[in-house]
Amino acid sequence: MSNERAEFADFFRTSWEPCLRAVLAVVGSPQQAEDQVAEAFARAWASWRKVRRHPAPRAWVVRTALNAGTSWWRRRSRELPLAGHDLTASGRPGEGLDASLLTALRHLPLRQREVIALRIFLDLDTGTIARQLGIEAGTVRTHLSRGVMALRRELMATNDHGG
Amino acid sequence: MNAHDDMTDTGVLSAARDSLSAMPVASPPDVETIMARGRARRRRRYLVPGMTGMLAVAAGAAVAVTTLAPVGHQATARASRQPATRLAAWTVTRLAGGDISVTIRELKDPAGLQGTLRADGVPASVTFASQLNPACRPYPGGTIPWPAQPPTPLLRQVFPKPYGILPPSPHQSRGWSQAPGSGSPPPASPPAGQTVIVIAPAALPGHAGVQIAATDGAGWIGPVQVVYTSPQCTGS
Repeated sequence: MSNERAEFADFFRTSWEPCLRAVLAVVGSPQQAEDQVAEAFARAWASWRKVRRHPAPRAWVVRTALNAGTSWWRRRSRELPLAGHDLTASGRPGEGLDASLLTALRHLPLRQREVIALRIFLDLDTGTIARQLGIEAGTVRTHLSRGVMALRRELMATNDHGG
Repeated sequence: MNAHDDMTDTGVLSAARDSLSAMPVASPPDVETIMARGRARRRRRYLVPGMTGMLAVAAGAAVAVTTLAPVGHQATARASRQPATRLAAWTVTRLAGGDISVTIRELKDPAGLQGTLRADGVPASVTFASQLNPACRPYPGGTIPWPAQPPTPLLRQVFPKPYGILPPSPHQSRGWSQAPGSGSPPPASPPAGQTVIVIAPAALPGHAGVQIAATDGAGWIGPVQVVYTSPQCTGS
Protein backbone atom coordinates (compact mmCIF):
# COMPACT_ATOMS: atom_id res chain seq x y z
CA MET A 1 0.00 0.00 0.00
CA SER A 2 1.42 3.37 -0.96
CA ASN A 3 1.96 6.06 1.61
CA GLU A 4 -1.07 7.97 0.47
CA ARG A 5 -3.28 4.92 0.62
CA ALA A 6 -2.00 3.97 4.04
CA GLU A 7 -2.46 7.51 5.23
CA PHE A 8 -6.01 7.67 3.96
CA ALA A 9 -6.83 4.23 5.36
CA ASP A 10 -5.60 5.35 8.76
CA PHE A 11 -7.56 8.57 8.55
CA PHE A 12 -10.66 6.66 7.52
CA ARG A 13 -10.27 4.12 10.32
CA THR A 14 -9.86 6.70 13.04
CA SER A 15 -12.30 9.28 11.70
CA TRP A 16 -15.28 7.20 10.60
CA GLU A 17 -16.96 7.04 13.97
CA PRO A 18 -16.64 10.69 15.10
CA CYS A 19 -17.65 11.91 11.66
CA LEU A 20 -20.60 9.54 11.59
CA ARG A 21 -21.72 10.63 15.04
CA ALA A 22 -21.47 14.29 14.09
CA VAL A 23 -23.50 13.79 10.94
CA LEU A 24 -25.98 11.57 12.78
CA ALA A 25 -26.51 14.32 15.33
CA VAL A 26 -27.44 16.67 12.51
CA VAL A 27 -29.50 14.47 10.20
CA GLY A 28 -31.07 12.18 12.80
CA SER A 29 -31.32 9.06 10.66
CA PRO A 30 -28.53 6.48 11.08
CA GLN A 31 -28.95 5.11 7.56
CA GLN A 32 -28.89 8.51 6.01
CA ALA A 33 -25.89 9.52 8.08
CA GLU A 34 -23.95 6.39 7.08
CA ASP A 35 -24.74 6.96 3.45
CA GLN A 36 -23.66 10.58 3.47
CA VAL A 37 -20.50 9.95 5.46
CA ALA A 38 -19.49 7.13 3.15
CA GLU A 39 -19.96 9.41 0.18
CA ALA A 40 -17.96 12.13 1.89
CA PHE A 41 -15.03 9.78 2.56
CA ALA A 42 -15.12 8.69 -1.08
CA ARG A 43 -14.88 12.32 -2.08
CA ALA A 44 -12.10 12.81 0.44
CA TRP A 45 -10.10 10.05 -1.26
CA ALA A 46 -10.87 11.51 -4.67
CA SER A 47 -9.34 14.78 -3.46
CA TRP A 48 -6.95 13.37 -0.89
CA ARG A 49 -4.00 15.55 -1.81
CA LYS A 50 -6.11 18.57 -1.00
CA VAL A 51 -7.95 17.12 1.98
CA ARG A 52 -4.82 15.82 3.70
CA ARG A 53 -3.51 19.37 3.85
CA HIS A 54 -6.79 20.72 5.15
CA PRO A 55 -6.45 22.18 8.66
CA ALA A 56 -9.36 20.04 9.86
CA PRO A 57 -9.85 17.06 7.54
CA ARG A 58 -12.56 15.54 9.71
CA ALA A 59 -14.49 18.77 9.56
CA TRP A 60 -14.08 18.69 5.78
CA VAL A 61 -15.63 15.23 5.73
CA VAL A 62 -18.53 16.24 7.96
CA ARG A 63 -19.17 19.39 5.96
CA THR A 64 -19.05 17.40 2.72
CA ALA A 65 -21.33 14.75 4.15
CA LEU A 66 -23.87 17.34 5.15
CA ASN A 67 -23.64 18.97 1.74
CA ALA A 68 -24.08 15.62 0.04
CA GLY A 69 -27.36 15.23 1.81
CA THR A 70 -29.30 13.85 -1.11
CA SER A 71 -29.09 10.18 -1.72
CA TRP A 72 -31.43 7.78 -3.26
CA TRP A 73 -31.75 5.96 0.03
CA ARG A 74 -33.04 9.07 1.68
CA ARG A 75 -35.35 9.79 -1.21
CA ARG A 76 -36.52 6.22 -1.10
CA SER A 77 -37.34 6.48 2.56
CA ARG A 78 -39.31 9.62 1.85
CA GLU A 79 -41.12 8.43 -1.21
CA LEU A 80 -41.74 4.78 -0.46
CA PRO A 81 -42.47 4.29 3.21
CA LEU A 82 -43.03 0.56 3.05
CA ALA A 83 -43.90 -1.43 6.07
CA GLY A 84 -41.34 -4.11 6.68
CA HIS A 85 -39.38 -3.63 3.53
CA ASP A 86 -38.02 -0.21 3.67
CA LEU A 87 -36.18 2.28 5.76
CA THR A 88 -37.60 4.16 8.63
CA ALA A 89 -36.99 7.84 8.16
CA SER A 90 -36.45 8.35 11.85
CA GLY A 91 -33.78 5.70 12.13
CA ARG A 92 -33.36 3.57 15.21
CA PRO A 93 -33.52 5.78 18.25
CA GLY A 94 -31.76 4.82 21.38
CA GLU A 95 -33.35 4.84 24.74
CA GLY A 96 -33.43 7.14 27.73
CA LEU A 97 -31.11 10.10 27.80
CA ASP A 98 -29.48 9.27 24.47
CA ALA A 99 -32.79 9.33 22.67
CA SER A 100 -34.06 12.42 24.45
CA LEU A 101 -30.84 14.26 23.67
CA LEU A 102 -31.05 13.25 20.05
CA THR A 103 -34.63 14.43 20.01
CA ALA A 104 -33.61 17.71 21.58
CA LEU A 105 -30.90 18.08 18.96
CA ARG A 106 -33.34 17.40 16.17
CA HIS A 107 -35.56 20.16 17.43
CA LEU A 108 -32.76 22.69 17.16
CA PRO A 109 -32.40 24.78 14.02
CA LEU A 110 -29.99 23.24 11.51
CA ARG A 111 -27.15 25.68 12.14
CA GLN A 112 -27.31 25.09 15.88
CA ARG A 113 -27.23 21.35 15.30
CA GLU A 114 -24.21 21.68 13.04
CA VAL A 115 -22.35 23.86 15.50
CA ILE A 116 -23.12 21.54 18.41
CA ALA A 117 -22.14 18.45 16.43
CA LEU A 118 -18.84 19.91 15.28
CA ARG A 119 -18.02 21.00 18.82
CA ILE A 120 -19.07 17.79 20.54
CA PHE A 121 -17.75 15.14 18.20
CA LEU A 122 -14.85 16.83 16.43
CA ASP A 123 -13.87 19.07 19.31
CA LEU A 124 -13.41 22.02 16.99
CA ASP A 125 -12.84 25.50 18.34
CA THR A 126 -15.11 28.37 17.49
CA GLY A 127 -12.86 29.78 14.78
CA THR A 128 -12.57 26.47 12.95
CA ILE A 129 -16.30 25.87 13.14
CA ALA A 130 -16.89 29.35 11.77
CA ARG A 131 -14.55 28.71 8.85
CA GLN A 132 -16.12 25.34 8.11
CA LEU A 133 -19.66 26.66 8.11
CA GLY A 134 -18.77 29.95 6.46
CA ILE A 135 -20.21 32.07 9.24
CA GLU A 136 -18.86 34.57 11.73
CA ALA A 137 -17.28 33.41 14.96
CA GLY A 138 -19.80 35.49 16.87
CA THR A 139 -22.62 33.68 15.13
CA VAL A 140 -21.04 30.36 16.11
CA ARG A 141 -20.94 31.49 19.74
CA THR A 142 -24.61 32.50 19.57
CA HIS A 143 -25.65 29.16 18.05
CA LEU A 144 -23.55 27.31 20.55
CA SER A 145 -25.02 29.20 23.46
CA ARG A 146 -28.60 28.63 22.35
CA GLY A 147 -27.95 25.00 21.55
CA VAL A 148 -26.32 24.40 24.91
CA MET A 149 -29.28 26.06 26.59
CA ALA A 150 -31.64 23.63 24.90
CA LEU A 151 -29.46 20.65 25.77
CA ARG A 152 -29.23 21.81 29.37
CA ARG A 153 -33.02 21.96 29.55
CA GLU A 154 -33.18 18.44 28.21
CA LEU A 155 -30.60 17.18 30.66
CA MET A 156 -32.50 18.82 33.50
CA ALA A 157 -35.81 17.38 32.37
CA THR A 158 -34.33 13.91 32.05
CA ASN A 159 -32.76 14.23 35.45
CA ASP A 160 -36.07 15.32 36.96
CA HIS A 161 -37.96 12.45 35.36
CA GLY A 162 -35.33 9.99 36.32
CA GLY A 163 -35.43 11.09 39.92
CA MET B 1 -32.34 21.79 41.95
CA ASN B 2 -30.76 18.90 40.13
CA ALA B 3 -27.34 17.84 39.01
CA HIS B 4 -27.46 19.75 35.73
CA ASP B 5 -28.69 23.09 37.05
CA ASP B 6 -25.30 24.59 37.64
CA MET B 7 -23.50 22.94 34.74
CA THR B 8 -21.18 25.11 32.71
CA ASP B 9 -21.56 25.13 28.98
CA THR B 10 -18.56 22.86 28.76
CA GLY B 11 -20.15 20.51 31.25
CA VAL B 12 -23.37 20.36 29.24
CA LEU B 13 -21.46 19.62 26.06
CA SER B 14 -19.41 16.95 27.79
CA ALA B 15 -22.52 15.31 29.19
CA ALA B 16 -24.13 15.38 25.78
CA ARG B 17 -21.01 13.97 24.16
CA ASP B 18 -20.74 11.18 26.70
CA SER B 19 -24.36 10.24 26.33
CA LEU B 20 -24.49 10.38 22.55
CA SER B 21 -21.16 8.62 22.18
CA ALA B 22 -22.62 5.64 23.97
CA MET B 23 -25.15 5.12 21.22
CA PRO B 24 -24.17 2.32 18.86
CA VAL B 25 -23.28 3.33 15.32
CA ALA B 26 -22.43 1.31 12.26
CA SER B 27 -18.91 0.05 11.86
CA PRO B 28 -17.06 1.51 8.89
CA PRO B 29 -17.42 -0.07 5.48
CA ASP B 30 -14.37 -1.57 3.81
CA VAL B 31 -11.88 1.19 3.06
CA GLU B 32 -11.08 -0.37 -0.32
CA THR B 33 -14.69 0.06 -1.35
CA ILE B 34 -14.64 3.67 -0.27
CA MET B 35 -11.44 4.23 -2.22
CA ALA B 36 -12.88 2.55 -5.29
CA ARG B 37 -15.82 4.86 -5.11
CA GLY B 38 -13.48 7.80 -4.76
CA ARG B 39 -11.49 6.64 -7.77
CA ALA B 40 -14.70 6.42 -9.79
CA ARG B 41 -15.49 9.99 -8.86
CA ARG B 42 -12.00 11.10 -9.87
CA ARG B 43 -12.25 9.22 -13.15
CA ARG B 44 -15.55 10.85 -14.01
CA ARG B 45 -14.10 14.23 -13.19
CA TYR B 46 -11.36 13.79 -15.79
CA LEU B 47 -13.41 11.76 -18.25
CA VAL B 48 -16.03 14.32 -19.11
CA PRO B 49 -13.79 16.82 -20.94
CA GLY B 50 -12.09 13.99 -22.81
CA MET B 51 -15.37 12.53 -23.91
CA THR B 52 -16.52 15.90 -25.16
CA GLY B 53 -13.50 16.01 -27.41
CA MET B 54 -14.12 12.53 -28.70
CA LEU B 55 -17.70 13.39 -29.50
CA ALA B 56 -16.61 16.33 -31.60
CA VAL B 57 -14.11 14.28 -33.60
CA ALA B 58 -16.31 11.28 -34.16
CA ALA B 59 -19.62 12.99 -34.80
CA GLY B 60 -21.82 11.20 -37.25
CA ALA B 61 -20.68 7.66 -36.57
CA ALA B 62 -23.20 5.30 -35.07
CA VAL B 63 -23.27 2.28 -32.86
CA ALA B 64 -26.08 -0.01 -31.92
CA VAL B 65 -27.05 0.33 -28.33
CA THR B 66 -29.23 -2.63 -27.71
CA THR B 67 -28.90 -6.22 -28.70
CA LEU B 68 -31.62 -8.77 -28.17
CA ALA B 69 -30.08 -11.92 -29.44
CA PRO B 70 -32.74 -14.62 -29.74
CA VAL B 71 -35.24 -13.06 -32.05
CA GLY B 72 -32.65 -11.56 -34.28
CA HIS B 73 -33.78 -8.03 -33.90
CA GLN B 74 -31.94 -5.11 -32.58
CA ALA B 75 -33.96 -2.64 -30.68
CA THR B 76 -32.65 0.81 -31.32
CA ALA B 77 -32.62 3.40 -28.66
CA ARG B 78 -32.21 7.08 -29.08
CA ALA B 79 -28.74 6.72 -27.64
CA SER B 80 -27.78 4.62 -30.64
CA ARG B 81 -26.90 7.71 -32.62
CA GLN B 82 -23.85 8.25 -30.47
CA PRO B 83 -20.42 8.24 -32.11
CA ALA B 84 -18.78 4.87 -32.67
CA THR B 85 -15.92 5.65 -30.32
CA ARG B 86 -18.30 5.83 -27.42
CA LEU B 87 -19.89 2.91 -25.70
CA ALA B 88 -23.65 2.76 -25.66
CA ALA B 89 -25.34 4.25 -22.64
CA TRP B 90 -26.90 0.88 -21.93
CA THR B 91 -27.21 -2.54 -23.46
CA VAL B 92 -29.85 -5.22 -23.06
CA THR B 93 -28.87 -8.79 -23.87
CA ARG B 94 -30.83 -12.00 -23.56
CA LEU B 95 -28.77 -14.71 -21.92
CA ALA B 96 -28.86 -18.40 -22.79
CA GLY B 97 -31.25 -19.40 -20.01
CA GLY B 98 -33.78 -16.72 -20.84
CA ASP B 99 -32.51 -14.24 -18.32
CA ILE B 100 -31.93 -10.70 -19.43
CA SER B 101 -28.76 -8.76 -18.75
CA VAL B 102 -28.90 -4.99 -18.54
CA THR B 103 -25.62 -3.11 -18.62
CA ILE B 104 -25.84 0.56 -17.76
CA ARG B 105 -22.90 2.82 -18.49
CA GLU B 106 -24.56 6.19 -18.50
CA LEU B 107 -27.82 7.43 -17.10
CA LYS B 108 -29.31 8.25 -20.46
CA ASP B 109 -32.45 7.37 -22.35
CA PRO B 110 -34.44 5.66 -19.62
CA ALA B 111 -37.52 5.58 -21.85
CA GLY B 112 -35.56 3.65 -24.47
CA LEU B 113 -34.36 1.13 -21.93
CA GLN B 114 -37.83 0.79 -20.47
CA GLY B 115 -39.35 0.23 -23.90
CA THR B 116 -36.72 -2.35 -24.78
CA LEU B 117 -37.30 -4.31 -21.61
CA ARG B 118 -41.05 -4.23 -22.10
CA ALA B 119 -40.65 -5.34 -25.69
CA ASP B 120 -38.71 -8.29 -24.41
CA GLY B 121 -41.44 -9.27 -22.01
CA VAL B 122 -40.26 -7.66 -18.81
CA PRO B 123 -42.84 -5.35 -17.25
CA ALA B 124 -40.49 -2.56 -16.34
CA SER B 125 -40.30 0.99 -15.13
CA VAL B 126 -37.03 2.83 -15.68
CA THR B 127 -36.32 6.31 -14.39
CA PHE B 128 -33.03 8.16 -14.49
CA ALA B 129 -34.54 11.40 -13.31
CA SER B 130 -33.53 11.42 -9.67
CA GLN B 131 -36.83 10.06 -8.58
CA LEU B 132 -38.74 6.85 -8.54
CA ASN B 133 -41.85 6.33 -10.57
CA PRO B 134 -44.50 7.34 -8.03
CA ALA B 135 -46.99 5.02 -9.69
CA CYS B 136 -44.92 1.95 -8.80
CA ARG B 137 -45.81 -0.01 -5.69
CA PRO B 138 -43.05 -2.30 -4.41
CA TYR B 139 -43.83 -5.98 -4.19
CA PRO B 140 -43.51 -7.51 -0.70
CA GLY B 141 -39.96 -8.74 -0.28
CA GLY B 142 -38.94 -7.08 -3.50
CA THR B 143 -36.81 -4.28 -2.10
CA ILE B 144 -33.24 -4.71 -0.95
CA PRO B 145 -33.26 -4.43 2.81
CA TRP B 146 -30.94 -2.19 4.74
CA PRO B 147 -28.37 -2.42 6.17
CA ALA B 148 -26.31 -5.29 4.89
CA GLN B 149 -29.06 -7.84 5.23
CA PRO B 150 -29.16 -10.74 2.82
CA PRO B 151 -31.51 -10.37 -0.12
CA THR B 152 -34.91 -11.94 0.18
CA PRO B 153 -35.62 -15.19 -1.71
CA LEU B 154 -37.72 -13.24 -4.17
CA LEU B 155 -34.86 -10.85 -4.91
CA ARG B 156 -32.43 -13.73 -5.37
CA GLN B 157 -34.78 -15.33 -7.86
CA VAL B 158 -35.66 -12.26 -9.87
CA PHE B 159 -32.12 -10.82 -9.82
CA PRO B 160 -30.05 -14.01 -9.78
CA LYS B 161 -26.66 -12.48 -10.36
CA PRO B 162 -24.93 -9.76 -8.46
CA TYR B 163 -25.17 -6.37 -9.90
CA GLY B 164 -22.60 -3.67 -9.76
CA ILE B 165 -23.08 -0.17 -8.60
CA LEU B 166 -22.28 2.90 -10.60
CA PRO B 167 -20.07 4.09 -9.05
CA PRO B 168 -18.99 1.32 -6.67
CA SER B 169 -20.91 1.72 -3.46
CA PRO B 170 -19.45 1.42 0.01
CA HIS B 171 -22.58 -0.41 0.97
CA GLN B 172 -22.42 -3.80 -0.61
CA SER B 173 -25.91 -4.44 0.62
CA ARG B 174 -27.14 -2.50 -2.38
CA GLY B 175 -26.18 -5.46 -4.45
CA TRP B 176 -25.04 -8.84 -3.35
CA SER B 177 -21.89 -10.67 -4.14
CA GLN B 178 -23.32 -14.14 -4.41
CA ALA B 179 -26.65 -15.77 -3.93
CA PRO B 180 -26.37 -17.58 -0.60
CA GLY B 181 -26.25 -21.30 -1.02
CA SER B 182 -25.70 -21.16 -4.74
CA GLY B 183 -22.38 -22.91 -4.38
CA SER B 184 -21.08 -21.32 -7.51
CA PRO B 185 -18.18 -18.92 -7.50
CA PRO B 186 -19.17 -15.29 -7.68
CA PRO B 187 -19.07 -13.99 -11.22
CA ALA B 188 -16.50 -11.43 -12.11
CA SER B 189 -17.37 -7.95 -11.04
CA PRO B 190 -18.51 -5.68 -13.82
CA PRO B 191 -15.98 -3.16 -15.00
CA ALA B 192 -15.78 -0.06 -12.90
CA GLY B 193 -18.29 2.53 -13.89
CA GLN B 194 -20.85 0.02 -15.10
CA THR B 195 -23.90 -1.48 -13.55
CA VAL B 196 -24.94 -4.92 -14.69
CA ILE B 197 -28.36 -6.13 -13.64
CA VAL B 198 -29.53 -9.61 -14.53
CA ILE B 199 -33.29 -10.11 -14.55
CA ALA B 200 -34.98 -13.52 -14.58
CA PRO B 201 -38.41 -12.79 -16.09
CA ALA B 202 -39.55 -16.34 -15.40
CA ALA B 203 -39.11 -15.77 -11.68
CA LEU B 204 -41.40 -12.77 -11.56
CA PRO B 205 -44.56 -13.54 -9.63
CA GLY B 206 -47.89 -12.82 -11.29
CA HIS B 207 -48.64 -9.13 -11.51
CA ALA B 208 -45.02 -8.28 -10.80
CA GLY B 209 -42.49 -6.33 -12.78
CA VAL B 210 -39.22 -4.59 -12.07
CA GLN B 211 -38.27 -1.04 -11.36
CA ILE B 212 -34.82 0.30 -12.16
CA ALA B 213 -34.22 3.78 -10.92
CA ALA B 214 -31.36 6.21 -10.66
CA THR B 215 -30.58 8.48 -8.72
CA ASP B 216 -28.83 11.71 -8.11
CA GLY B 217 -25.70 13.55 -9.10
CA ALA B 218 -23.61 10.78 -7.62
CA GLY B 219 -24.84 8.45 -10.34
CA TRP B 220 -25.96 5.58 -8.20
CA ILE B 221 -28.18 2.97 -9.70
CA GLY B 222 -30.94 2.12 -7.38
CA PRO B 223 -33.23 0.93 -6.26
CA VAL B 224 -33.64 -2.13 -8.37
CA GLN B 225 -36.75 -3.75 -7.06
CA VAL B 226 -39.76 -5.90 -7.78
CA VAL B 227 -42.97 -3.92 -8.13
CA TYR B 228 -46.62 -4.58 -8.82
CA THR B 229 -47.48 -4.18 -12.46
CA SER B 230 -49.82 -1.41 -13.46
CA PRO B 231 -50.37 0.61 -16.64
CA GLN B 232 -48.82 3.65 -14.97
CA CYS B 233 -45.81 1.79 -13.60
CA THR B 234 -44.86 -1.03 -15.91
CA GLY B 235 -47.12 -0.34 -18.83
CA SER B 236 -49.39 -3.33 -18.37
